[in-house]
Amino acid sequence: MPQVKIIAKNFMDMVASLPAIKLDMLYRNQFICEAILRSLPPLAKKYVLQMLYIDVPITSKSLQEWVIADGSSKHKVAIDRLIQLRVLEVIDRKKETAYKLNSTFQTNLRKHLINGGILPREPMPSNVTARLPTLEELDAYAHGQWECFLLQLISSGQAERSTSFSSSMMRIFQRGLLRQREKEVPRLTESGFQFLLMDTNAQLWYVIREYISNSEEQGVDQADLIAFLLELSFHTTGEAYSLNTLTDDQRAMIKDLADLGLVKLQQGRKESWFIPTKLATNLSVSLTDSSLRKQGFVVVETNFRLYAYSSSKLHCEILRLFSRVEYQLPNLIVGAITKESLYNAFENGITAEQIITFLQQNAHPRVAEKTPAVPENVTDQIRLWETDLNRVEMTPAHCYDEFPSRDVFEAASDFARVHCGLLWEDPKKMRMVVKAEIHMLMREHLRGNK
Amino acid sequence: MAPAPSKLYADDVSLVVVLLDTNPFFWSSSSLSFSQFLSHVLAFFNAILTLNQLNQVVVIATGYNSCDYIFDSSSDLNRSFENGRMPVMCSSLLQKLEEFLIKDEQFSKEEPDGRIKSSLLSGSLSMALCYIQRVFRSGALHPHPRVPIDSCYIGAQNSAFLQQASYITGGVHHKPQNLDGLFQYLMTIFATDLHSRSFLNLPKPVGVDFRASCFCHKDTIDMGYICSVCLSIFCKHHKKCSTCGSVFGQAQSEVASASDKKRKTPET
Repeated sequence: MPQVKIIAKNFMDMVASLPAIKLDMLYRNQFICEAILRSLPPLAKKYVLQMLYIDVPITSKSLQEWVIADGSSKHKVAIDRLIQLRVLEVIDRKKETAYKLNSTFQTNLRKHLINGGILPREPMPSNVTARLPTLEELDAYAHGQWECFLLQLISSGQAERSTSFSSSMMRIFQRGLLRQREKEVPRLTESGFQFLLMDTNAQLWYVIREYISNSEEQGVDQADLIAFLLELSFHTTGEAYSLNTLTDDQRAMIKDLADLGLVKLQQGRKESWFIPTKLATNLSVSLTDSSLRKQGFVVVETNFRLYAYSSSKLHCEILRLFSRVEYQLPNLIVGAITKESLYNAFENGITAEQIITFLQQNAHPRVAEKTPAVPENVTDQIRLWETDLNRVEMTPAHCYDEFPSRDVFEAASDFARVHCGLLWEDPKKMRMVVKAEIHMLMREHLRGNK
Repeated sequence: MAPAPSKLYADDVSLVVVLLDTNPFFWSSSSLSFSQFLSHVLAFFNAILTLNQLNQVVVIATGYNSCDYIFDSSSDLNRSFENGRMPVMCSSLLQKLEEFLIKDEQFSKEEPDGRIKSSLLSGSLSMALCYIQRVFRSGALHPHPRVPIDSCYIGAQNSAFLQQASYITGGVHHKPQNLDGLFQYLMTIFATDLHSRSFLNLPKPVGVDFRASCFCHKDTIDMGYICSVCLSIFCKHHKKCSTCGSVFGQAQSEVASASDKKRKTPET
């Protein structure tokens, strides 16, 4: 089965692809320097810190001496990444290459370490803002907004309210995830299914990446948008920031971000403000960070029954992808993992690993403490059922028959064996099956012999 | 001197517990002033917190009468300030430090003079290790954390204890030659997360002095007496162990000569 993988590309890869002038402008912002530093591989972070206060170029040979032999591949990855992000500048002397930190980046990171960065906006005083939502309410809001957006994205028709994204914007997000034939209800593609099973952070990156890629058409500069998003990740969750501190472009962006659940917009008597949620402040953290796992809700039993403590329509849709949902109670979804439901999922392009990872990552806290979180017999069976569909392996081949003599047959069979193309032979009846790749070579060989 | 145990969660996330030696008897005679030292060290803390959103720094001050926590980056007060982190950290840390120093000095006013005013390193080390254990109990990820102890020694002599501690726990011991550049030493050597340590060329232990020192005089000795209960080392025979209080019997050499005498008498 073809494995299509959505690579929710890292934000930083996007940053790295910006032209040099724009990248230099980005590095004037201390917070962006910090965000870039945090996104680097650990060895690269070390190199940046070590070179922070060195003004002269360092030869690549000296740099190599910092690592032991075992780490040379990691060393190369780190250096390449630093050059890609233009944090490290290459100075080609006649005899050997040397490296120096990007001076804008260096100056601003130094300032950041010694003085600490101050954002261009301060939280508003509490006497102006009305009752602010608590962190739990804010989390619930962010979660609700994001789910609503996702439901609309997969156009299951179950979204309670529609977002304010224009339909053209939604179509751009849906590109690759949904396939619509004429007069048919849009169906999820393989990538669409995989997208649904990814965790929230990965999904968020995917959507934001599409949003940024299309911002040029909306008339917003990509670098500005990236700078604003990175800056947003350093604000304090739950604090109110006045909308007056935003530029016009940023104000337009803020409404879209509110639809995604990154910020909450509120209005007071005279002023209006935005409150960053956890989704926003975790933007600069890496994709694989496990501390952002939201609370799990799925219990899988050894008898293949599934109990999901959730009232979310999105969760129900996701579970329907690979299990048979039997009842839906106000706070509980009951279902069973059956061979039919799994075959259905496999046909749609979902792999057993994705299903198992989804179940493990979303395991209810009660079962998450146990190892394994999902019973082994269930995970083994899911994998076995997947291999069921892979029982037959097809290789294009040719069958050779009616050899004139035993010698010719044996010579041909040895020839095929030498070229690793012999799949099957029957010496008694002098027949053999050879891989299609070496068919032409076989013909030449047989003609040669005759 | 300022040792610093560090911990690993995953990849390069680190918990760094720093033991700052604040012994005024040492700092008053040091070539690097305490305030200059603090400016290097505070920038070092900020660098660690900058490297990863999940990094945590805890500082324990080691005085000559007491030890206490003076900074924890994960406490609510400090956590919410990604914005303007350095000013908040500095003011909070320096204030607590000053309160600690005043309290530390007050303890000695109650005691008689004449005691050697050495820093209570073992006390602060125990506090640090207990803190780390507690954090890991609640994390349930690594039941037995590996805690390397790095030590940065500032001063004229050498500390055999710190060298041994760093060597045995797999940490790094270094005595910076040029104290003007202390920040650069801290950045290059001590700000390395545990994951990267396996790939970097860090100062290797050269000529660690492995000899034991006796508990009564702190002299290095080659032969001595050991308590069989707590393994404390003494250079001469004592009636009672000063660490665990167990009572010792007669010295082995005295017992041997007594039985020898007894045996000799019947023969003659």
